[in-house]
Parts: sequence; structure tokens; C-alpha cells
Amino acid sequence: MVDPADFPILSRTVHGNQPLVYLDNAATTQKPAVVIDAMDAYYRHSNANVHRAVHALAGEATDAYEACRATLRTWFNAERVVLTSGTTEAINLVAHGWGRAVLNEGDAIVLTEMEHHSDIVPWQMLAKERGIEVRYVPVLPDMTLDMEAYEASLEGAKLVCVVHTSNVLGVRNPVERIIERAHAVGARVLLDAAQGAPHTRIDVKALGADFLAVSAHKMLGPTGIGCLTITQAAFDEMQPFMGGGDMIEHVSLEGSTYQSNEHKFEAGTPRIAEAVGWKVAMDYLAEVDLEAEHERLLGIARWTAEQLRSLGCTVYGRHGDHDSAVVSFLHPGLHAEDFAHLLDAAGFAVRTGHHCAQPLLHRLGIDSTVRASFYLYNTMAEAEAFIERVTHVLARFGGNA
Amino acid sequence: MVSEALAEVLEEFEAIEDRTQRFELLFDLADDVTELPTDEWSEGNRVKGCQSQAHIDVRVEDGLVHLRGGADARIVQGLMGLLSLGMNGQTVDVARQVTLDIVEATGLLNSLTPSRSNGFRTMYDMVMSTMGEA
Repeated sequence: MVDPADFPILSRTVHGNQPLVYLDNAATTQKPAVVIDAMDAYYRHSNANVHRAVHALAGEATDAYEACRATLRTWFNAERVVLTSGTTEAINLVAHGWGRAVLNEGDAIVLTEMEHHSDIVPWQMLAKERGIEVRYVPVLPDMTLDMEAYEASLEGAKLVCVVHTSNVLGVRNPVERIIERAHAVGARVLLDAAQGAPHTRIDVKALGADFLAVSAHKMLGPTGIGCLTITQAAFDEMQPFMGGGDMIEHVSLEGSTYQSNEHKFEAGTPRIAEAVGWKVAMDYLAEVDLEAEHERLLGIARWTAEQLRSLGCTVYGRHGDHDSAVVSFLHPGLHAEDFAHLLDAAGFAVRTGHHCAQPLLHRLGIDSTVRASFYLYNTMAEAEAFIERVTHVLARFGGNA
Repeated sequence: MVSEALAEVLEEFEAIEDRTQRFELLFDLADDVTELPTDEWSEGNRVKGCQSQAHIDVRVEDGLVHLRGGADARIVQGLMGLLSLGMNGQTVDVARQVTLDIVEATGLLNSLTPSRSNGFRTMYDMVMSTMGEA
């Protein structure tokens, strides 16, 4: 594991004197001091706009910004990396930049019931505008995708959008098979890897993912930045989404021509300080044995799930070998919101609600869960303290639903 | 002056240091709500902007306020209980003395999500506007 002392925020207390136990990592992760310091140093020493002026600071800022892209290109083994505000904007970029250029009335796209709203709503908006058919792959009672239904849905499909790892269940989908079958019918594939990328090293070339959407803040980086990796073939099919500075080659009153590289999709002054911070976060992650960490965190999640079940909770998820360390649960005697407030009273930060995945929760027959999600700095001792608190809360308040 | 029952319970909150114990008191207040049976839950009496399911019904008869409600989350129903202590069975004049500050007085406000706080505000506004019409 990483040293929790690298993360300044983890030493604070909440509600007076309760030590913070941060278990809301699927929402956002904490930042190591090196990331915070790098962003601070950027603003103190190198701040300038990128890709424009010839002065020294502009050169430093441009180099730093492009270094983030280069790091991501290597990390994901990607042909193209467009920096976005996060996963949501990355998916919207596919909808607007690729979808509008390629999809026409009568075309079909395939989504799943497991998607985050960010991978549903942009497609519903485009479908309404373009008359595109949206097909949804159901989730089975064992909380996996119905792969038979998936294969049946592929006929005539132009695009498949699927979540790599569910933010609610932690279930890692069989993306290799999903991509292989989609490509067999000539469909492109977009993977929402907001939850997958922080937990496992994803090689988009090996996977064959045409598009991969990622958020920095879920993998130790700053908020406000993410990326979309794109294969060159898919990149060539895209048209610009937003117009403005940085994306143009030449502008006249009669018309404009655009950059041919990733800048074409990065209109306006980009997130420079955030790119600086993300690059440092990626360098920090590169020093972590993610495979070993995956084993360790999954072990904590499995133990936590088992304890919760023994306390009468229903756990939503299966914690298979490749799933992420997310534990979603409910107790029949205590409403999820009440549960989360009572955990928070003792310093345990968890998420509650629909997790921006209402169709999935609807399929599961519930409208919210309590979700504890573990990351690199979490310890078994924290999981034990968490279960101790859950036990206490249920003993005192568990007959109240 | 707010009702004696509400003043007393707000003093109780103030005396409790421990956050969990404050929640315990708020949970107990949920029992002070006159139940609005779920078959009377409608879009008209739903508390909008609340993350959980919450419904509140208020009537003024013979100058007295009658408040009924229900929520699936115990904390939300506890907040209704707080309103009930200040309003239920009271004259409109006394009930009107209840302000939004009572939530802050529980010492739990910081932990209430914006939508929960908005939910309470909505609940409060629903009650106040009904009393305004009476």
C-alpha cells in the first residue's frame, strides 16, 4: 500500500475529534502532497497560457501540459489522448465529436443498464436529435451483464458504450469479449473507465478499445481534468465539438480550418495546472504495484462484505477476482441516508444515494445504497473500525426503517 | 414564543455534546409526528427536493394547526417531529414563531446535505404557506 502520510488530508479529524476514515474513493480520491505541491509550484513559478506565446513561461507551461498527455499516452498505450474536464466530458466528446459525424437516423447504439448517467444521458440527447435507436443490455440477477442479450443487440449497431467497472457494484465487465463481438459487426466501442482505470492498468491497444474515458480525480489527480483516448481510425472520423481558441489552424471571416492533432478537440485555454497535477499523480501511481494493491483491496472489500452480511445487510456486488473494492449495501432496519449520517458522526465518509446509476438501481429493485469504496491508502484496520461502527450503529438504530 | 415542548427539546439538543446522541434524540422525535398513512401520500403533499421520500399534510381547524407526516428516512421524519413539537395542536400565532433556525439548533445541520436542508426548507414553506391561507 501507499503511505497514508503522503496524503495530508488523511490526518485531519471531523466533527470535533473524530479521526477521518475516508471510504468514498469511488466518488473521488484524496491527493498526495506531491500533486498538491506540483500544482502550487506551477502557479508560483510557471503559470502562462499554452501553445501561444514564445516567452519562457509559455514554453514551460506548454511542456508541462504536453508532458501530461505524453504520460497518459504511454500509460494507456493510446494513439490519441484528448484532455477533457473528466469522464463526463470525454463521453460527451464522443457523442458530439464522433456521434454527430457518423451516426444518422435509423442507426443503432448499444448501452447497458449498468451505465452511469454520464454514459446514458448524452446518448439519449443525441438519439432524440438524430433519430438513433438506443438498445440497453440488461443486468442479470447475479449482477453481471446479460451477454446473450448483448450479442443479440449487436445487429446493425454502430457503437457500443459500456462501463469497464461499475461504480455501484464494483463488477468488472468482460470488456475483452464485448469489444471482440462489437468489432466483429463493425461497431466501435467506448469504455467508461472512470472506476476501472484507478484499479488496473488498462492497455487500450491490447484491449482494442476505440474510446476510453477517464477522470483524474478518481486516481489521485486533481478534479476538473480527465481524458479520452482514441484510436487513430476513430479519431479520423471525428469532427470538432467546440469551436474557439487552440483548436484552429486558420480563421478568416469566410471560414476556419482546424488543427489536425488532439488540440482540435481542446478549444479554449485548457486545464494547465490540473494537467501538471495529474502528470505527477500518474508518476506516483507508476511507483505502486497496482496488481498487488488490487489483491489487497479486494481482500479488504471481501472481508467487509462478509461482515456486513453477517450483520444482516444485503450486499450488492459479487467481488470477483477482477472487480473493484467497492461495497454497496443496505440494512432492512435502517434507511441508507440515516446509516450514512450515523457513520459520518464517527468520522467514516461513505457515499449514499443512487450513485448516478438510477436504471441499475431500478433493476435491482432499490433506490439507494450505502457505499464504502477502498483505495490505495486504506487499511484493514480501517475496515475493522468501520465494521465496529456499523455494528454499533445497527445495535442502537437498526430497528428504525 | 415557540411552544414549550419545542423550547425544551432545543435545550436538550444544546446540552448534548456527542453527535451520535444528538442523532438519537432526532430519531426519537420521529415518533412525535402524527402519522400520515402512506395511502394518503400524494404528489400534492410530497416534500420536493428531499433525497428520501417525505410527505407532509397540514390543516388549520378552529384556529389550531394539525400537522401529519411521514418519511422513509428516520432523520427526515425526526425533523418533521421538530416542526410538530412547535406547531401541532398550537394556535397559528404560536406555530408561526417556529423559524428555520431550529434545524441549526440541533447541531446537526452541517451533516445535512444541501438537498436535505432544501427538503426541510420546502417542508417548512409548505406548512407556512398553508397557515398563511388560514
